[in-house]
Amino acid sequence: MAFRDVNARRHIGLQQLSTLASTGRTFLGPMKSHKFIVDEITNQSTLICSAVRLIESLDLTSAVGQLLNETIQAQNKEFKTGMSTLLFLVGAWSNAVVECLQQNIPVPAIVSVMSEGLNSCCGRVQCLQIPIHDVKKELCSSRVRPKALESKTGQVGRHDLKNSWNLLCFQTDISATEEVIPINSCSHQGHDCNFNKFLVSPLAGFGSVASVVKAVGDKSSPTLSGSGVTAPSCIAQKLTHSRHFSTLGKSPFASQQGNFQGHLSGPAADLCGLGRLAVALSHGNQTSVKLLQSIAAYQQGRAECSGSSQVNLAEIVTCSVLGLPESYSCVSPGFVTLVSPEQATVIKHFADKPLRILLVDGDLTEEYRHLGFNRPPNVRTILEHPNPQGGGAGDAWPSRMSDVLMSFEVNLVLVKGNVCKNFMERCLASRILVIGCVARAVLCAFGSATGAQAVTYLSQLNTSCIGNRAWAELWKTGDGRAVDLGERLPARISAGGIPLLTAVLTTALPSKAQLLEDQFWTLLYRLHHALKDGKVFPGGGAVELLCLSHIQALAEQPERPGNAKELPSPWLAGCKSIVLQALASGWKRYLCVLLCNTATVSSELEAGAAVDHHLQKAAACGSPSAYILEEFRRGGVLRGGSEPFPGRVTDLKVCDNVVAKTEAWRRALDLVLLVLQTDAEIITGPRRNQILNSPVSSEFMFL
Amino acid sequence: MSRLEAKKPPLFTSKPLTRDAVSQSLSLLSGVLKSSYGPAGRLKQLHNGVGGCVCATSQSSALLGHLSVSQPVLRVLTASVRNHVSRFSDCGLFTAILCCGFIENFRSLNVAPFTVIQISKHLLSLCMDHLKSEACGCRVSVDFSSLETLVCLVRSILTSKPACMLNKTEVDHLTSLVLKAFVFTVPCHVETNAVLGKCVVIPVKGRRVVDSAVLPGLLIEVPEIQLGKPLPVKRTGSNVIKIALFSVSMSGDGSNPEEGTIVVHHGVSLEVSELNQLLSMGQQLVKDEVGLVLCQKVMHPSLKQYLKENGVVAVDRAGLSLMEPLRRVTGSQPIASIHSLSPGCYGSLKDLCIESFASKHFLHLIPEDTVICSLILCNRSETAWDELKRVCETAEHVLQLTVKEPLALLGGGCTETHLASYIRHKSSSLPASTFKDLGCSQTQYQLVADGFCRSLETVARSLSHDGEEVLTDMVYGHCWLVPSEIGRKLRRKPCSSGQRSGEMSPPLCDGEDPAVLGASPRVLAGREVPGARPCSAAAPGGTHRELCPSGCARHQDLSPVSCLPQGKCSGEVLARKTKSSSD
Repeated sequence: MAFRDVNARRHIGLQQLSTLASTGRTFLGPMKSHKFIVDEITNQSTLICSAVRLIESLDLTSAVGQLLNETIQAQNKEFKTGMSTLLFLVGAWSNAVVECLQQNIPVPAIVSVMSEGLNSCCGRVQCLQIPIHDVKKELCSSRVRPKALESKTGQVGRHDLKNSWNLLCFQTDISATEEVIPINSCSHQGHDCNFNKFLVSPLAGFGSVASVVKAVGDKSSPTLSGSGVTAPSCIAQKLTHSRHFSTLGKSPFASQQGNFQGHLSGPAADLCGLGRLAVALSHGNQTSVKLLQSIAAYQQGRAECSGSSQVNLAEIVTCSVLGLPESYSCVSPGFVTLVSPEQATVIKHFADKPLRILLVDGDLTEEYRHLGFNRPPNVRTILEHPNPQGGGAGDAWPSRMSDVLMSFEVNLVLVKGNVCKNFMERCLASRILVIGCVARAVLCAFGSATGAQAVTYLSQLNTSCIGNRAWAELWKTGDGRAVDLGERLPARISAGGIPLLTAVLTTALPSKAQLLEDQFWTLLYRLHHALKDGKVFPGGGAVELLCLSHIQALAEQPERPGNAKELPSPWLAGCKSIVLQALASGWKRYLCVLLCNTATVSSELEAGAAVDHHLQKAAACGSPSAYILEEFRRGGVLRGGSEPFPGRVTDLKVCDNVVAKTEAWRRALDLVLLVLQTDAEIITGPRRNQILNSPVSSEFMFL
Repeated sequence: MSRLEAKKPPLFTSKPLTRDAVSQSLSLLSGVLKSSYGPAGRLKQLHNGVGGCVCATSQSSALLGHLSVSQPVLRVLTASVRNHVSRFSDCGLFTAILCCGFIENFRSLNVAPFTVIQISKHLLSLCMDHLKSEACGCRVSVDFSSLETLVCLVRSILTSKPACMLNKTEVDHLTSLVLKAFVFTVPCHVETNAVLGKCVVIPVKGRRVVDSAVLPGLLIEVPEIQLGKPLPVKRTGSNVIKIALFSVSMSGDGSNPEEGTIVVHHGVSLEVSELNQLLSMGQQLVKDEVGLVLCQKVMHPSLKQYLKENGVVAVDRAGLSLMEPLRRVTGSQPIASIHSLSPGCYGSLKDLCIESFASKHFLHLIPEDTVICSLILCNRSETAWDELKRVCETAEHVLQLTVKEPLALLGGGCTETHLASYIRHKSSSLPASTFKDLGCSQTQYQLVADGFCRSLETVARSLSHDGEEVLTDMVYGHCWLVPSEIGRKLRRKPCSSGQRSGEMSPPLCDGEDPAVLGASPRVLAGREVPGARPCSAAAPGGTHRELCPSGCARHQDLSPVSCLPQGKCSGEVLARKTKSSSD
């Protein structure tokens, strides 16, 4: 067992932390720079754009690296957002703490003052929280007219009205947002027009499509116009476009459609707010917003009675389709997955037939046994009467099993694990579609929608295990085209009333697939948590600015003399002030880097000056929180002075999750304080000789 | 026949404690332990150096569990400390530091080991008698009719390990949960042989500490797919749910770990026959109106399916640690065979429902009357959760031990300092007959007693990690940690009020002649020590005020360091320690 003193000179652990964290600087803020991670041995590279992926690809064998990884992963698992903030603050605070140590401030003083300071900040920023209800109302206020229109419409002719409503929305949104989000390259333009067309066209007749496109085209200034597209249009398009939802004659799905459509017109205001909330939380990510609006609309339609306004994460899966432009991304009800051409042939044969479905929650191979089954090692099988005709045993199992499936007239098998290749081929030959590696959530959704009961072995099969009325088709893009990408084709499997939604993420760049998926989940989790918390923070540095001003006020506050419980001596009061300044410096660095990354200032020095300027203004105002809220209402807290229309109330507001943000702060500080309080590293296990021979052996002691 | 290599000749080492290697390892070990001690103790990162998980801790159980010690002498020491921890959960570091102190102090004395043992046994008995006497100033009686002392006791245990990463609100929340859990484990109907129950810790990692909760009864985690939305549960005629609890594996693999080979004819499947056996037992269970089947190990999916179809809830993989609580909650006898079922082995439950915490789903077993409860424990990171779990278990255990003997000792180094000053005082006034009985001279006795006291004071001094000075009141034996800046100032300037004619000094400073130090008791003058470290900054535990007996009211102004009540076990601690050092 080896033992190393961490505190030999300066605190090695904190230095390691700060070095590791410095790599994630460019991920702060909405304008993230991508990074290539190159493996020097294999020369393979990946494109990343988030702290989680970065930490995953770093070499983290050191103890501090492990702890950092653990912290980032925990935040990711819970919130899927705030990891970049966490990583950055870990770095900033560990630097600040090292400076405190150099001024001889005792460790317990740093720990207690910092953690109480953060606590006090978390309490202080509560006044900035905006209830979700208000966000929706405020963001929707410009929508009064269309809403009134909508509420007056009857069943007849709703489509036409909706159409005009959509048009209206489009125009107002574009005019509202155009000067706020300038686009850097003109190449996006064609893309976005295309997208708009795709979204609106299903509802409109040909004439109006032209008009919409024209409307967009007329705005010759380049815009990212998607932000204002409302959820109803997306969803209605989806439904009217699906052949299962469009023909009312199809009994199993007709009621579903009626239900759904009937709901859509009702809480239009709410949906519009939710869509706007998603935009505010998206921090500029357009594609995911549209997907999210569809999801929110669909799930709200389902949850109309239950009254829960939450996004159910368990009922959403993603499917990446490579080879299509990103504008084809959309949300499809049911389960979309990639299948082989042979499987696709079987799907084509199904046509519109309702399918009998079986769910298997293990592998479908001969050798597979449930977890916890130990093969007895001491069994020997003897064969008394050899049978010369008996073929290979490997052949027998697939045929026996496919016979079982046929006898129960199963058409579709979803398997959680792997599927034996021979068995798969045999099933395809008898037109049974078998799909492997299906997520548990998907099995659950099909179980509840079709009444199927998951089994582990096919020998368990009885009629009650099998579900009915599933169906399969090849997935088509929004404009009705089937996709043929060669080896793997997207297919859609669904069932009446299934709660499951698949976000189909299309991209032409394979290296971006992971990135898009991450972004989608991040935004989905943000919306989920915003609804769960019931409130959001104003974004764009508002909260950090208030923390900064609060901490500075605390640091300057003279000690109350009468309070014996507080630190009494001037020396300790001085300590407190230094430590609080260190805490504040983390947020200040955060704001500066945020400003630099968004390219509103040219240097970090200038950013620092801008932050100081805002701090002074906030202090001069008397109530910093009121000042910050007012600035936020005007369109952003840390705006530079060089805006085109200063003072004009703009429509674009950025919001952040409340709990995710404060938890990220807390986790970052906890990690820094944990490392700060560590004075030794103990390496266990039998690596004595290895350490003895290593160049750092002099740092170790042995027990 | 294989040839056996001759053994190496035995190697004898006389006086192993004096060897360099031993003393180096010992001082390293005692350094590791001392630096971890107390609420401001430093953490150690334990890991295997090749990317395994990292454990940041200052707990003796985790530290000593991971250390591989090569010196036999140290192995004896660590083994006895771990043994102590396994019995009392608490005071591991205290034991270990004291133990190292004894070895270090006694080793250098020029006194025969046997004499040292005799004298230290006598000193120990002096300590024990004093701690047991009513007059003992560092003893606090725990009043179970009020929460005050109990809260203080739990709080000081929770705050003693900084790696839990708790803030004040979280400490308060957990303190109340731990106490609630403790109250759940006390039986309502007291019989002659009352047995305390158990609090089972359910892990929910990645959540905020304030999301933790306590529930009576038992929670078992179940994967979602097993359960339909409304829980179909079958009740017997008397409206209870009948339970069968299996400790045997029901996976259908016929686990035969015995030696030998089973020969099977081709075409005969052991698996099928085993499964049939399971299914026929399933039929029996259904016939007996069992509503819930619990299995410690794995259940065959076919059996689960059969039970589910017949309205029986089946849960497997409960795990060994839950078996005893399950047995107590349901009152059932664990069934160890799948071949026979006796009707007497079933237990019963009042109700069964599903609880969800975070993304986990639990089956909540609600009995009629129980002493078992579940503490759903949350903490943000894995490392901090592990530490917190050990701390909460310690707190539960200490509370249970306190029921047996409702006494606590003052913490913050006060007890040790008090005992040391008591021994110093007492040993100078012993009758000559005592020395004769022990077979030693008075000088020898003084030497050993001094080593003994210094070992005790070492423990108190180990609480200081940031160069704070330890100030001691030699009359009452209380001690304070003050920041070094203030300590220096105090030493330079003689005390302001001379009424009590004393000088203020940090008596536990290294380098002072211990004999001189012990000779004349010094009184802490003045009523206030400016800058004595407040509890909020350094040791957020219970304050002295809360635990100080009314006899020393003057300490209330001084707000010394936190008290770390050591439960009842301290007597045992001393006993163990002396033994392992002198044996």
